[in-house]
Amino acid sequence: MTASVLLQLLVSGLSVGSIYAIVALALVIPFKASGILNFGQGEIVTVGAYTALVLVGFGMSYWLVLPLTVVIGLLAGIVIERGFIRPIMAAPEFTLVIATFAVGLILKSAIRLYWQDNPFALETPLNADPIHFAGVVLNPLYLWVVLCTLLLVVFLAYFFKYNRLGKSMRAVSQSHDAARLMGIGVERVLMISWGMSAAIGALAGILLAPIVGINPEMGHLVLKALVAAVIGGFTSLPGAFFGGIALGLVETYSGAFFGSTMKNIIPFVLLVVFLLIRPYGLFGKPPVVRI
Amino acid sequence: MRRKILTSLAALMFAPLAMAQGVTKDEILIGAFGPTTGPAAYIGLGGRDGMQMAIKEINAAGGINGRKLRVIFEDDGHSPTKALGAVKKLIDQDKVFMVFCAAGSNATVGAIDYIKEQKRIMYVSFASAPAVTWPFNRYLFRGSTTEVPRYGELYSEYIADGLKAKKVAIMNGREEYPKNEGNALASQLKDGYGVDVVARAEFNIGDKDFTPQLLDIRKAAPDVIAFFGNPAEASIALRQAREFGLKQQFFVGATMVDANFINVAKANAEGASGFALIPFLPGNKNPDLVKWEGAWKAEYPNLPAGRPNVFDIMAYTDMHLLAHAMKAAGPELNTDSLIASLEKVRNYSSSPLASPITFTDKHHVGNLSLHIMQVKNGAWEPLPWKPSRPSVILKRYE
Amino acid sequence: MSGQSGRAALWWLTGLALIVAPFALGTYHAYLVNLALINIILAIGLNLLTGNSGQISLCHSSFMAIGAYGFTLLNNLYHWPVPFAVVAAVLLASIGGYAVGYPARRLSGIYLALATLAFLALTQVVIEEFPDLTGGIRGLKIEAMNWFGLPIDHKYLVYFLLLGCTALGVYAAKQIMDNRLGRAFDAIRTSPQGAQALGIPVAEIKLTAFVISAAYAGLAGALLSMVVGFIDPVEFGVSAAIRYITFIVIGGMGSVAGSIAGAVALTGLPEALRPVKEYSDLVYAALLLLSLLFMPNGLVGLASALRRKP
Repeated sequence: MTASVLLQLLVSGLSVGSIYAIVALALVIPFKASGILNFGQGEIVTVGAYTALVLVGFGMSYWLVLPLTVVIGLLAGIVIERGFIRPIMAAPEFTLVIATFAVGLILKSAIRLYWQDNPFALETPLNADPIHFAGVVLNPLYLWVVLCTLLLVVFLAYFFKYNRLGKSMRAVSQSHDAARLMGIGVERVLMISWGMSAAIGALAGILLAPIVGINPEMGHLVLKALVAAVIGGFTSLPGAFFGGIALGLVETYSGAFFGSTMKNIIPFVLLVVFLLIRPYGLFGKPPVVRI
Repeated sequence: MRRKILTSLAALMFAPLAMAQGVTKDEILIGAFGPTTGPAAYIGLGGRDGMQMAIKEINAAGGINGRKLRVIFEDDGHSPTKALGAVKKLIDQDKVFMVFCAAGSNATVGAIDYIKEQKRIMYVSFASAPAVTWPFNRYLFRGSTTEVPRYGELYSEYIADGLKAKKVAIMNGREEYPKNEGNALASQLKDGYGVDVVARAEFNIGDKDFTPQLLDIRKAAPDVIAFFGNPAEASIALRQAREFGLKQQFFVGATMVDANFINVAKANAEGASGFALIPFLPGNKNPDLVKWEGAWKAEYPNLPAGRPNVFDIMAYTDMHLLAHAMKAAGPELNTDSLIASLEKVRNYSSSPLASPITFTDKHHVGNLSLHIMQVKNGAWEPLPWKPSRPSVILKRYE
Repeated sequence: MSGQSGRAALWWLTGLALIVAPFALGTYHAYLVNLALINIILAIGLNLLTGNSGQISLCHSSFMAIGAYGFTLLNNLYHWPVPFAVVAAVLLASIGGYAVGYPARRLSGIYLALATLAFLALTQVVIEEFPDLTGGIRGLKIEAMNWFGLPIDHKYLVYFLLLGCTALGVYAAKQIMDNRLGRAFDAIRTSPQGAQALGIPVAEIKLTAFVISAAYAGLAGALLSMVVGFIDPVEFGVSAAIRYITFIVIGGMGSVAGSIAGAVALTGLPEALRPVKEYSDLVYAALLLLSLLFMPNGLVGLASALRRKP
């Protein structure tokens, strides 16, 4: 194992981890606000990728398609929250789990009806020749993913700390009642948090598409994102980010050192270990239970 | 004595009217199943549409000895449980004459016992599960797709004799099929041709990064790199291989010899070679194929890119072969007469789009031909190379 | 006719119909009845865990897998007589339930859901990592079964074993729910702290719920292998696990009637959707979502709401 191989693995691990991080963020935001885990998040990523495919097919430039896809994701999230989640917010947890899964399945089946399972590639200006640097091959796509993730994290950090809406979202995630008492429109905040989550998911989709190809089963990575969110802590946004990166690195390195079987098993072993020893993750906080 | 004569006369008079299930004087009812929902839907949908196009042509040309063909196609969702339900419905409820299987291997095997029990013919177009043809059973036939060991035989012959490679690296997914492809190739290369397998790397289906495997292969400096997995993984692996400076030719497994592979791998696919089950892949410029595709697109105008696919073609040619055998069986069409007729088929291609099919009363292994192709200018083009070693597969049926 | 004797008559009629079924129905409908019975057993077990003791489990298909593969391997490799193999399969699945329930007893909500998901992923990996034993992704065929050499047609033996197990499962569940254990389940679901305060050993009871429900799932798995004759890991994956949860969510959580209603309805639904061909996945998911929106307490809840209307 030379240094350049280790560096090469670092680059792969960081880019894989960035994708996990983005999707983990998309999972954690509505969870913090509404306590609901969106099992259909993977399909929102898929929708983002196919949206980009369609828009690029109309001849639009990638730089226009990117923000447009994110906006479409935002709208989709709002529609889903309003149409399907709001009416059943009071239902038992299991009903909500199934509902989010059902929404995901509807999206996936609809995509499959039109595009079937043909894999598609997304042309982007970043599908360029790799950069060679210090004995390491850097794929511009991977660098772009890492950059976008960092920008997203910085944006979210700023948003939740200083922006009014962001602060209201934080209030809502702590306590719906207290937020209401403070005059915050809880319903509106919930709607926006789902919108944001879908927008982020759509971003993940368009970033992922040129790397892995577009197909209806892309959403499968939501399982890995769940593991990342547990590692980082479901109640922590920086946790989701670090969890994703950490998972990507651990996966890549364990695959290189211990073989593919390990690579398959490690994420779930980590999941179990964390759930048993530190279920709230590295950065999460246990919920305050009022007696 | 009189009674005996009368009974025999009666029997002679009524016998032809006691027709086989699914066969009436105007119609032959065929049941079919395959995945039309779920991730394997492209298989079942190709099967269904290819079959129906053939049936339309056959009926337009007058049908089969005055009878029209009709098919009922059921979804099996790629699940053995659902496949068994589909077959039971077709045979028990719909009362079909025979079953055309457009399903994957697991679903097919799930249905085999019931088919044997019911003594109906099942014609398997796509599934390569060994249980269909071994041990020999007179009711099961395998058409366009070939036996699993044949892949190993042909892959090794082409890589050793055709490409003249002395050092080969094999990269395969850890699922059954790609792993078997990889293992079969490795052992045949070693035992049959004395070719060195200088690197073996495995990956998980769904992997998005192949850095460790490719770096290992780069170190081993092979002449050819064999890759067995799915188009999605192949496209990433190929791209990364070129990035890491690997310039060797790629030999890919059967699931990648398909337009999808080129769609996702784009320029990186150039120069890759592999075997196809049919002489021409959709998109090829061969005039017969172009004509056929034109007719197909007229029949199914609104279908997305990627159709027609190989399954459309295979089901289409297999259905024509079945029709040919049914016609030859004559007006008294029943399970036994169709089996007898099928077992007379020798090197028959229902059209230039089909591989030659042979059935005998000792084996029902229809197709042993695979066609070597290479990606040239963004499309799979047949290469003139032909195998010269005879296959050992049929030996065990003697 | 009073409600009581009317209901009893309904039970007798259903029982009679079920006994006559394999002789009267064609192979296709008989197959559907078999599948419905298996799903009832599974749903009842899952309902005890999720509907009654309030613990979400996304790995029920894995307990089923343990039962299915356990039975099949004992049958294929060692030719164990069917009843013994079934009992062994149930025990193996129960051990699986213990393995998940023990570390999970301190978890709840989504953390519990994720822990069960991890178990599901691990069982899939194990099935696929040992293909020489389990057939891996190629699947596994159930070879000829050992019925002590009884000369009766195998399909009747399977059916009546299945019917017997279902009846037993229903009876056992009702017994559990009507007695102390069932009340403990309900207490834990309503308020774990309250239950603790009442002196109920919460962790132990939660574990018991897991073991019992895994046993049901293992039984269903073994019976599924017998009925279908061929198993593969996809039958026991994430989509299957979610499908089983829909049985109890649609049927009605916390009651045996709910489990039965949901299992029967959702066994029939995919078959009823055959005419819509490649739209059936979409229609299924849409129907699912609609019933969640408009029927939040399941079919059983709908039935009692209708009965209350004057």
